Amino acid sequence: MAFAWKASGLTYNRYLAVAARVVRRSLKEGERLKAERRGEMELKFAKWENGKQGENKSLAQANASSMAEGAGHGQGQ
Amino acid sequence: MSLRVAQAATRIRPLAFRLPLQRRGYADPVSDKIKLTLALPHQSIYKSTDVVQVNIPAESGEMGVLANHVPSIEQLKPGLVEIIEESGGSKQFFLSGGFAIVQPGSQLSINAVEGFPLEDFSSDAVRSQITEAQKIAGGSGSEQDIAEAKIELEVLEGLQASLK
Repeated sequence: MAFAWKASGLTYNRYLAVAARVVRRSLKEGERLKAERRGEMELKFAKWENGKQGENKSLAQANASSMAEGAGHGQGQ
Repeated sequence: MSLRVAQAATRIRPLAFRLPLQRRGYADPVSDKIKLTLALPHQSIYKSTDVVQVNIPAESGEMGVLANHVPSIEQLKPGLVEIIEESGGSKQFFLSGGFAIVQPGSQLSINAVEGFPLEDFSSDAVRSQITEAQKIAGGSGSEQDIAEAKIELEVLEGLQASLK
């Protein structure tokens, strides 16, 4: 099966996250506020080299740029 | 000693033979129910509950799952799952996409990220998001932004059709 989002470098994980986000935003006010908290992700990571911690990076941003790089190859990450 | 080994061997053998044959006689009742587990990361909506039929929006097309369905794994589109319960009533949930796994022994597991009954959705919110997503999809954003807007549009249009 060919998926258009795959050609743009998006991963299946990202596809699911986008679909879930839009479902949460379509809820009625009360449910929406409760549900939208589940979509938040603020993970950060740093690479350690020679015993020293590197720069702190946001995982979401790193994923987005790796998906942009993967565009056209039909694969991300 | 050798005699005892031979005896043990003959005793074990018939058992090993009988195991893989799961014969069913005329009098054995066959369950015509399917055990449904519908799980989200934060909640289980159904937990191995007996239901009559489940209609799922698989990527390969809409399909209905009854008892004794052939084992299979289906990727789900964001869409409506319909569950026909033992009492005859039916329930509908809009799932954001995931997988349905039919296991031997009439077991069905559905995993999704988000799933809500239709009455939890607001058609106003859906409508305003469609205009928003259309703007991004037709705009000059990055390839990824456009792809994400197109995913959103697909979900929203499915949602709008289900809400009518």
